[in-house]
Amino acid sequence: MAIRPEEITNIIKEKIEHFDTSADVNEVGTVIQVGDGIARVHGLNHVKASELVDFGNGVKGMALNLEYDNVGCVLMGPDHLVHEGDTVKRTGEVISIPVGADMIGRVVDPLGNALDGKGAIKTDKVMPLDIVAPGIIDRQPVKQPLQTGIKAIDAMVPIGKGQRELIIGDRQTGKTAIAVDAIINQKNIPASERCICIYVAIGQKQSTVAQVVKTLTDFGAMGYTIVVSATASDPASLLYIAPYAGCAIGEYFMWQGKDVLIVYDDLSKHAQAYRQMSLLLRRPPGREAYPGDVFYLHSRLLERACKLSNENGGGSITALPIIETQANDVSAYIPTNVISITDGQIYLESSLFLSGIKPAINVGLSVSRVGGSAQRKTMRKVAGTLRIDLSQYQELAGFAQFGSELDKESQRQIARGKRMTELLKQNQYAPLKVGEEVLVLYAGVHGYLDGVEVSDVLEYEKQLLAFVRAKRPEVLDTLNAANELTKDVEEKIVSTLDEFKTVFKPAKQEN
Amino acid sequence: MNSSDRIAVQRYAAAYDGLSTTDEQAVRRAEDLRAAARALDAVRTYMTSPRVKTQQKKQTVRAALQQAPDTASFIELLIDAKRYALLDAVTRRVGELLDNRLGIVRAEVVSARALSAAQQKETQEALSSRYGGRVEAVFTVDPALLGGLKIRCRGELIDGSLQGRLAKLQEELTH
Repeated sequence: MAIRPEEITNIIKEKIEHFDTSADVNEVGTVIQVGDGIARVHGLNHVKASELVDFGNGVKGMALNLEYDNVGCVLMGPDHLVHEGDTVKRTGEVISIPVGADMIGRVVDPLGNALDGKGAIKTDKVMPLDIVAPGIIDRQPVKQPLQTGIKAIDAMVPIGKGQRELIIGDRQTGKTAIAVDAIINQKNIPASERCICIYVAIGQKQSTVAQVVKTLTDFGAMGYTIVVSATASDPASLLYIAPYAGCAIGEYFMWQGKDVLIVYDDLSKHAQAYRQMSLLLRRPPGREAYPGDVFYLHSRLLERACKLSNENGGGSITALPIIETQANDVSAYIPTNVISITDGQIYLESSLFLSGIKPAINVGLSVSRVGGSAQRKTMRKVAGTLRIDLSQYQELAGFAQFGSELDKESQRQIARGKRMTELLKQNQYAPLKVGEEVLVLYAGVHGYLDGVEVSDVLEYEKQLLAFVRAKRPEVLDTLNAANELTKDVEEKIVSTLDEFKTVFKPAKQEN
Repeated sequence: MNSSDRIAVQRYAAAYDGLSTTDEQAVRRAEDLRAAARALDAVRTYMTSPRVKTQQKKQTVRAALQQAPDTASFIELLIDAKRYALLDAVTRRVGELLDNRLGIVRAEVVSARALSAAQQKETQEALSSRYGGRVEAVFTVDPALLGGLKIRCRGELIDGSLQGRLAKLQEELTH
């Protein structure tokens, strides 16, 4: 593209011609104390709560504490650029982020600046970060499924578009992996139903964020994904606004009638950043030293996830907040708060992870309070009794450890349970299409695996999928499209499974 | 200064100002306090030293301020309350309260070049009509402004300087 200098000159000339040369009148104050990302300002008598103030030197701040004789502000930039005695200006604006369709595929900071070195982002709107969530009239119930591509989740803790499903577990239990798989799986979904994904990294290492971005890029998922990053080295104020920024970007797309999936990774660090700010602003500490409004901090964020009514375009924001627990303690302050806010939780356990069950989902403690009504009928029919079967199996398995003789029926249940547990294992970055999930689970639930060794179950799945993809792709197409498990469809599945039975080769045992 | 000190400053200043019932008294007391603070600043080391006994410090103040017994008592009170360090801030605040009493508005006017007497008068009149009351402006010169005026008055900053406008233009062109 040729650049014509005169064009640029004209643009600049025009800007200068329209430049407002009248004197600026601003309400100002003076910095009386600064440090730890907090500044106290004398003056600014009419400043409003959460108003953006300008400290000069490119540093902005947010007025949070309005006190008798001073205003407590958090700084959005390095505090060494602000000095005692500096003049602080009011801006009359609340903090907001520029948004636009060009953000897709980019990595940005919570103020909307590009971090990926791919140049400036063209935006067409400015959205305030902190808004009141849409009311009752603006919404409709959650009714469409959001496929994560993970068998255990889509079958037993189904997520609907507009739902808030918490992913909770200790460190190193695969919380981020589930969220990333759900994002990658959107590629398997036709573009018309595909969600725009927003991954908000809060307080993570830069290297971890870089790794996630690389994974998403490698799997071709950046084409519909935005990464909002506030890493551990950023000021607490940026960590604090990061999820609101992600949500504001999501709302831009939601109000255009699109579906959005937002991952907040993770809200424990968000609460910690807010605790840091609150304590430095000398707000009184409460339980675990968190301030009194830490519940509101998360409830007002997650309340913004919703399914809009058809009059409003029918867009949605599905939120997957992540919480890291310490030593599997879900009764700590922040986990109980977020559990009570969300519409269900996926509970990951390190003991399951270490015994090789990946994803390490604890079936008994994981629930989805609204997703069931949004689940596809095919999946609901196949997976209907799965959760009960598995919990019965676990009860029996504990009992069987005593070595007592079991009746035939119990033995059958144990054998089935072992195979189903094995079947629900899934590799990372290998999300399945909904048709594939239905087919595989159908085989398990209807006893096609009973004759297969437990160690061969995953081999069975692998060969079955390869077989169907190569020989009977029409079955998968039907299943992907089918909304109801009619006789016709079921016959197709049965005939496929019967045919596969004859060609299945168990993996060769070593020695 | 922490928040409780700032509140204490307000209260001490209000109490001192409240001693006076007429404007003349208030002006005199404020002047006394300012003079005392300036004088005591010269013996800062003595007044703040922990080795000098409180009683001795109070005697010194009493002896030095024989002409103004109210001011002496006030400073003794500050010493007793271990708030002598706030004296400067209290003095400043007393000055502000006096300004309120007399309806004086303080303004800082910065210009690129020294203003002529006529220009100064014009500026003060313009400020009086904007803020009401008698404006007492302090005029300073800062060549970095390049041109125009920068006025700070009553928590407002009126930036009509060339420097400010150029900064605004730069902001507009780069965003």
